[in-house]
Amino acid sequence: MFADTRSLPRHAPRPAPGARRGLYVLLALFIAALPWLPVNPFMIHLAESFCYTAIAVIGLNVLLGLSGQMSLGQAGFYALGAYGSALVSLRLGWPIPLAMLFGAVLAGVAGALVGVFALRTRGLYLAMATMAVGFVIEILAQRWTDLTGGPLGLAGVPQLDLDWLGNAAFLYVAGGCLLLVQVAADYVNDSAVGRRLRAIRESEAFASAVGIAVPIWRAATFAACAALAGLSGALFAHQSGFVGSDAFTIRLSVSLLIAAVIGGLGTRMGPLLGTLVLLTLAEFSAGVEKYGLMLNGGVLLFVLLLFPEGAAGLLRRWMRQPDTESPDTGHAESAAAKLPPMPSGCALSVAGVSKSYAGVRAVNDVTIDVTPGSIHGLIGPNGAGKSTLINVISGQFACDSGSVLLAGQDVTAFDTPRRARSGLARTFQNLQLIEALTVEQNVQLGQQPAVATWKDFVQWWRRRGFEETQRAEVRAILQFLQIENLAGKRPAELSYGHRKLVELARAVAQRPRLMLLDEPIAGLNTYEAREVALAVKRLNEAGVTIVVVEHNMEFVMSICDRVSVLDHGELIMTGTPQEVQRDPRVLSAYLGGTGDD
Amino acid sequence: MTFATLIQLMIGGIASGSIYALVALGLYVTHLTVDKVNFGQGDFMMVGAFLLLSTRAAGLPPLVCVPLVILALGLLGWALERVAIRPLERARRSPLGSYSWILTTAGVAFILQNVIELVHGRSVQHPTPLLPGGHDAIVHMMGVGFALEELLVVGAVAVLVAAFYFFVFRSRWGSSILAVAFNPEASSLLGVNTPAIKTGVFVLASMLAGAAGVLIGTLITLHPHIGLIFTIKALIVAAVGGFSNPVGIFVGGLLFGVAESLSNYADSSFGDLYPLIGALFVIAIKPSGLFAERAAHVR
Repeated sequence: MFADTRSLPRHAPRPAPGARRGLYVLLALFIAALPWLPVNPFMIHLAESFCYTAIAVIGLNVLLGLSGQMSLGQAGFYALGAYGSALVSLRLGWPIPLAMLFGAVLAGVAGALVGVFALRTRGLYLAMATMAVGFVIEILAQRWTDLTGGPLGLAGVPQLDLDWLGNAAFLYVAGGCLLLVQVAADYVNDSAVGRRLRAIRESEAFASAVGIAVPIWRAATFAACAALAGLSGALFAHQSGFVGSDAFTIRLSVSLLIAAVIGGLGTRMGPLLGTLVLLTLAEFSAGVEKYGLMLNGGVLLFVLLLFPEGAAGLLRRWMRQPDTESPDTGHAESAAAKLPPMPSGCALSVAGVSKSYAGVRAVNDVTIDVTPGSIHGLIGPNGAGKSTLINVISGQFACDSGSVLLAGQDVTAFDTPRRARSGLARTFQNLQLIEALTVEQNVQLGQQPAVATWKDFVQWWRRRGFEETQRAEVRAILQFLQIENLAGKRPAELSYGHRKLVELARAVAQRPRLMLLDEPIAGLNTYEAREVALAVKRLNEAGVTIVVVEHNMEFVMSICDRVSVLDHGELIMTGTPQEVQRDPRVLSAYLGGTGDD
Repeated sequence: MTFATLIQLMIGGIASGSIYALVALGLYVTHLTVDKVNFGQGDFMMVGAFLLLSTRAAGLPPLVCVPLVILALGLLGWALERVAIRPLERARRSPLGSYSWILTTAGVAFILQNVIELVHGRSVQHPTPLLPGGHDAIVHMMGVGFALEELLVVGAVAVLVAAFYFFVFRSRWGSSILAVAFNPEASSLLGVNTPAIKTGVFVLASMLAGAAGVLIGTLITLHPHIGLIFTIKALIVAAVGGFSNPVGIFVGGLLFGVAESLSNYADSSFGDLYPLIGALFVIAIKPSGLFAERAAHVR
């Protein structure tokens, strides 16, 4: 009856993620009970600090762990939240909840402004810019004494005091905020939002190819995480009623980072564990204040060098829960799986397109018309400009002149995500798969949301029907390509051929009207190549227009309706495979003849 | 403002600007080679300044102290690369992606700050002057008084920048650095000792920080936490210069120093913030820097 749950039936799909309500209830009960337990006020104070600090750490975890953007300036946003909330409640007499909201929004707006850097810079530059912003805010807090009181601070900030709750009021408010934020962060982690953030972190080319407006997502993430830091700061301001500039140094920014890293970046429990460790460390080092910096620095080195996956990762390893759920559910015998209905294919026109790199004409005045529902090959020797043309069509590169028309609509001015949303899907010559996600989740990235966000959230919360239709469709697509047994694996575990198929599956999931395949069978063995040829044929029969770049002539000639030949950036000819094979210009382009003979 | 004040402000700005440029050059050379920088570069400078302070206090003459400090900083740079950067290449895949080094080098910086705090205390220290005349030695030219030590700083940095330029772009070692920067694998195959170069650029960067530490004592008073602001300003100078060429960084550093000096004169309470904010805007508008050509990004 109670069989070992580890031996699941062979075809059982991966369980859907969902809200861990039991955990939330436990946390809520603990916070609710704490003030009534025989603990000293200091413990209550610590619990309060834990609650609001964890909020900032959760934000940083989403920012760094999911979207991969470094911020060394969270203390600045925290300070904005604290001063914003303290000042409007102190000077303008705003009620505390409204004041805290104001603080969080203020920090969020500042975060959105800093997000401008995030749009244009990466990694090192972003770390530097956020550090500088944090520094500027710190200096302003210190020196703009008329407003902030500087190091002497603002005293008498209204404190949260609900008569009927006594001194438990603040803990309840902070704990309630923490619970809400944790639930929201868990949802982000499990849902399409988290998948998209992870995709952006690993490959912006991939993300924009599936229609994600990368800049907006990056800036919005920055703003949201700054707002969380602001909320954290606002709670801090009303905890003790005193706000002094010494609280907002870079050491706070680094402490929050330490908490996020120790806890385990990108994990759901990481921020809570990390904050716990951070506060324990802080308490521990309070007695040895003069070694505090050394302790912080040492912990950073220790964790990053020895346990980069953090406490949550360690826990997972101890509990022998493999990091990658990869049940091999066995090969399915039926190859004739049904493809989900695809929209009808559309025409593509490339009109007089030219593109140069630093003076080198990679594509020169190329005009190609692709009939709806056809398979159109694009061939040419190395350096002929095929990949450039594909990138111009998909929007990765802007062309210097000419235009690209999709179903008669001029999309030249559209960026990649917008072209993707207009029905254009592509695969990459250099595979772009998201290593942090399973095959199934990679394919899901191609899909449009099936239900409204609120409905999605409700399904997640009830753990019923969450992403059910989407996952069924993904299974169908994987079955269609005969790789459904790989659903739970990570891309890194797959062979090259399988990775190519996963990319194809992702493109299919976008339900494109036009599909660009950049060397779909390069590096595959004969068997795999035949499978891909078959799949492409069947996709085409389902209605999709396909443009394929490939060096393998047998493949091109056997599946294409028409073929265009490029050489040195020029279009030599367009014709049926037979015509192309007979044409002397094509032969000379490939064999290096002069073209006269 | 009289003409003399303006000139004095300019020279002061150029002097502190050359320090920023010197610190930034260290960031430049490691960024060029391994795409990483020491987020404690300013703290390394601070350590250099305090080492000079201690050795001078021990009674050693400046001509012994200065090479000693720079040598010690070179060792520190070696240790940094070995402890905080190299092991990350082997480490398990970190969720932090390829940016763990930002936090490990920052971690080392914290430890150094703490060590200096323990040795020298947290209070402000007044470094011994480098030149016999002290901080007040002044030469008069064309009716303007120039602080001798500021001139020394400017001259020393100009020489160092020239030497650095020669070393990286004209010497055989420099060619190895550029080769590794271009393609580490290919360089290894061609017989370049790539690991040594990767460590070597951090040694070089730290020695530059050491030189900055020697010179900074002539301009400001010291305490264990001055490093951070120099790291920030050097990063910004390097970023505005586009991390792309040493001359751009030198010019960027001087411009930043002069802007800061003038803006400090105009507004004594927030003057130092304006150039910082201005430079941030420059980076937001032109992320590749003022002097950089954007490399074509071809997939």
